Amino acid sequence: MSSQSASTSNTDWPGRYHHIDQVLNSPGPRTDPAFLAGDGVKDFLRHQAKILVIGAGGLGCEILANLALTGFKDIHVIDMDTIDISNLNRQFLFRTKDVGKPKATVAAEFIMKRVPGVKVTPYFGKIQDKDDNYYMQFNLVICGLDSVEARRWMNATLVNLVDPENPESLKPLIDGGTEGFKGQARVILPTITSCYECSLDMLNKPTAFPICTIANTPRLPEHCIEWASVLEWPRVQGDKKMDTDDPEHIGWLFSVAAARAKEFNIEGVTWSLTQGVVKNIIPAIASTNAIISAACCNEAFKIATSSAAYLNNYFMLIGTEGVYSYTFEHEKRDDCPVCGGEALELTFSADLTVEGLIEMLVEKQDIQIKKPSLSSPKSQIYLQAPPQLEEATRPNLAKRVSELVPNGGEVTVTASTLPFSLSLRITYT
Amino acid sequence: MAESLNIENATVTIATDAQPDNKTRRYDRQLRLWAATGQSALENSRILVISGSATSTSILKNLVLPGIGHFTILDNEKVSPEDAGNNFFLEGQSSIGKSRAEEAVRLLAELNDSVESKADTSNLEDILEKNSSYLTSFTIVIAHNLDPKLLDRLSTLLWSDVSHPTLVVVRSAGFLAEFFIQFHEHPIIESHSETAPSLRLDKAFPALLDYSLSLDFETMDPTDHTHVPYVIILVRALEDWKKSHEGKPPQTYLEKKAFKEGVLAMKIKFDEENFDEAESQAYRCWTETTVPSEIASLFQYPALSSLSPSSPPFFHLLAALQKFTLEPPYTLPLTSTLPDMKANTTSYIHLQKLYKARAEEEKERFKSFLTVPVDDSIVDTFVKNAHGLKVLRGRKWGALDADPTALANAISTSSKQVAIHLSLSALTALIMKQPGVAPTIEALTQEAQSLLPPGSEFPEEFSDAVGEVARAPTADLPNTAALLGGLVAQEVIKMITKQYVPIESYCVVDLVETWTGII
Repeated sequence: MSSQSASTSNTDWPGRYHHIDQVLNSPGPRTDPAFLAGDGVKDFLRHQAKILVIGAGGLGCEILANLALTGFKDIHVIDMDTIDISNLNRQFLFRTKDVGKPKATVAAEFIMKRVPGVKVTPYFGKIQDKDDNYYMQFNLVICGLDSVEARRWMNATLVNLVDPENPESLKPLIDGGTEGFKGQARVILPTITSCYECSLDMLNKPTAFPICTIANTPRLPEHCIEWASVLEWPRVQGDKKMDTDDPEHIGWLFSVAAARAKEFNIEGVTWSLTQGVVKNIIPAIASTNAIISAACCNEAFKIATSSAAYLNNYFMLIGTEGVYSYTFEHEKRDDCPVCGGEALELTFSADLTVEGLIEMLVEKQDIQIKKPSLSSPKSQIYLQAPPQLEEATRPNLAKRVSELVPNGGEVTVTASTLPFSLSLRITYT
Repeated sequence: MAESLNIENATVTIATDAQPDNKTRRYDRQLRLWAATGQSALENSRILVISGSATSTSILKNLVLPGIGHFTILDNEKVSPEDAGNNFFLEGQSSIGKSRAEEAVRLLAELNDSVESKADTSNLEDILEKNSSYLTSFTIVIAHNLDPKLLDRLSTLLWSDVSHPTLVVVRSAGFLAEFFIQFHEHPIIESHSETAPSLRLDKAFPALLDYSLSLDFETMDPTDHTHVPYVIILVRALEDWKKSHEGKPPQTYLEKKAFKEGVLAMKIKFDEENFDEAESQAYRCWTETTVPSEIASLFQYPALSSLSPSSPPFFHLLAALQKFTLEPPYTLPLTSTLPDMKANTTSYIHLQKLYKARAEEEKERFKSFLTVPVDDSIVDTFVKNAHGLKVLRGRKWGALDADPTALANAISTSSKQVAIHLSLSALTALIMKQPGVAPTIEALTQEAQSLLPPGSEFPEEFSDAVGEVARAPTADLPNTAALLGGLVAQEVIKMITKQYVPIESYCVVDLVETWTGII
């Protein structure tokens, strides 16, 4: 650490931090009295703080640039994606020549070239590849992700990391997200404030089309596209995996959907719509990403320096009609499976089958667990894996939950994609 | 998602039967918001940004990436060591001493080959004196932390003619900022209104009514019965109701309840979802379709009474719309966009065709009211989106600060926003009077006081705001710059593409508590 800080100071020049230093040299009227203006805070920011950025995409590129300019010098970034041409309308660290290369690596190199003395360490891979020791080394984590699953994993991992005996184990998590002209930024202090899992029910439900509509009564171009991807692809292509980034696959789906649309006199099936439906494309623009990333980095800067109070705890922006924003405190849920500690109360009919309960867990807005495995303190109810146990527990699917769990009993829900378990307390009606 | 477009519109200019070209692929994620029309408006825009500050380059980055036509940075300064430390579009120490405009333009231009760019190192004051037509040749002019005397002259020049560019004024200091858009009026034709247009069930057009009457619900094939769209069910149920109620739709609570029960009683099986849908949509039968008041108010526009062949096409379209609404059925032209509903393919497509044909007829009738030729594609867009039509009216920069009473009133409605605005106005004034002198809280407070009516009270948040400004009077913080860069670029894109709705006056930003507000 010491050799590194010596080398980074060599790249500083007089006046470099003229702008930033104005807020580090003196407190503002609302600054916490604990703020130690001057050299100490600058040293922490520039020579000690270690920050992790998850995602080097639309938000990640912006986050890396902002962090580097505000004086963070030890930045790590994780991203599992490679650069696609459709990223270039907003991911400004990438050029046409970079298409196909790993985002994390290209972004890190660009930042280090543009902002002297900043060290960006890229990891081209999944967040799940890293263990607790890895996450433990950072002071702060900023997430700029487009995946709910990855956010839930990161959130649960940081909540699990908290050891009440060790204050260093509490890693503030700053999370941003955008869609079109809208976005949100929030600060999560694991176990202290509301966490990502606490607010799962705020997510929009994705549009799902009933299979019978797709199969029998298509009305919209989307129905024809779903028919091609959900029914025709497995029927015709067998076990071949659909790759929504492969233009040939999209081309096939498009032509199948277009033929069906023609048969039913439905207008509007295009290449672009086909791609949008099968990839679930969310519109994204540079300006919204800039707003949300700046809000996230500003919180990181305030937390790292105490130069001003940080966001408590949710900022939401809607830019479609004027500039509307809403800053509020999202409340922690006592029955949050990740940070709450209390079992979630669930009431349903004594006739509900295990299969019915699984369906409910997948659908329910505040749970949304794909492929849940269920067990009670006494027995395994249904396990998705390994295959032998799946087979052994499969007969339970048709049984009523009330045959296996007493009224007021507990069911533990787990899923391989989520690093936590959910406790349900069951009441029968 | 109302925000995402019908892709039919987004890809009108590209081949739909093959993989899109590289340009369409590059812009895919934004075309899904503003379509080919918005993109073409962006590509025809010319943006002037005054100063190459961190905030200015942050704004430009978000405009170059989506592909504006041209940008110029006007800045006669050299890169200082301070600039090199906070601006991503300068290359650290190696940029120091070089022209700030040239360095920033070079690094911004790299982001998008299809954008034309220019660095202008001349002096704004000279241009204002000798070459003001240069300034008015742009689509939008953006100025960040500009000297107030020059800003005053610039805003007066750009306000002097309705055809002159929109001006965006951006001010920031440390964690606080604001921006203002100066424009005369801004029509939005291709809106993305979240309210769906009326299906006009209460005033069913003849083909729709005839079709609903032609169906024999009692003898119909049971499978077909389950697939009659709710629109048809309701039109028929309403017609039957009116026959026994002196031609009137259900009016009282009890009547409405009876009507809904009647709709459900039409079921031949308990699980016919189309009838459940009809029941839940029954309100459409007694909600009279009229011209929405926001649109009717546009007809009061003075420009309509003095319409001449040279008036902008928008006012001709508005005048034609007014004439259209003065005849039966006294509504806006019918929409051809049908929401999805429980139905089989044949009945849904048939209904869609009825709506399309009628919408086409009404569009022709609308066209007959036009007194000048207007491009067909504009007429199509106008008629299709008539229910979301908007005209924003802006103000001149500085009008608020020149009106102490208005400022005092604004304090009572939006005190924390005005607290920041007053602090930034005071800072601008003080920097002009005493360049190079660090502004004190006392001096700033005095300046702010002079803007208010004698004896007025400051908003309670003023001391927080003014203290923050005094703490960092010349700080162009990277995060504040980036956030403003995003907000201002969103507004500029909205002004250029004329689809989403921009702000009409000030937007204020507080990055201590992380909020934005409008005055």
